[in-house]
Amino acid sequence: MDQTQPKNYLVESILVTIFCCQPFGIAGIVFASQVNSKYASGDYEGALKASENAKKWMKWGIISGVLLFVLSMIFVFAMGGLAVLSGGDF
Amino acid sequence: MKLKYIGMLLLTIVLAFLYFFINPSEVDFLPKCPLYLTTGIYCPGCGSQRATHQLLNFNIIGVFQQNALFVLGLLIIGYHFLISGFNYFFKKHNYNYIYHPKTPIVLLIVIFVFWILRNIPYYPFNLLAPK
Repeated sequence: MDQTQPKNYLVESILVTIFCCQPFGIAGIVFASQVNSKYASGDYEGALKASENAKKWMKWGIISGVLLFVLSMIFVFAMGGLAVLSGGDF
Repeated sequence: MKLKYIGMLLLTIVLAFLYFFINPSEVDFLPKCPLYLTTGIYCPGCGSQRATHQLLNFNIIGVFQQNALFVLGLLIIGYHFLISGFNYFFKKHNYNYIYHPKTPIVLLIVIFVFWILRNIPYYPFNLLAPK
């Protein structure tokens, strides 16, 4: 095998799993495992494809995590603004 | 490409400051885990924000109390950067176990076992649940 192993995004997927968005992170780890096993068995094309999938899931995990963070911030500050306007009763 | 890394660095610094000064247990504007919020089940990542706060304040026991998997994750990520950094700077080819075919499978098993155990509401399993 002269080709180097495609990036498996395992580290990024672990980060996604621990910090938010489990479904995305776990899908990422599954594809990471495919990258490793397919490359080990000599299926370079398959490994490359799994690598792309892992990257995709990892990316969506990060995007949804950031979105969740920003949305909850906006929601809370909007509620805080309403609370100030109405005298802080809720 | 370079801009992306600078942006990531800035974001990390901002988040580090945020989680250093704010204890997520005491405020309610930080995002809650969507799974816990909707089903009441802890996910493998629940407690990570609180764990980050504890870590940035050098309270290692606190990190374990919030999320033990967080520690494992940090160790794996640290290992990966150590090995790949070492290989890059010294032009070595040390084997990185991140690329071993078994590593992700073992990790998946660990995550699922941890997930199940931390949702058992009895001692000693409830030690794994975030406080």
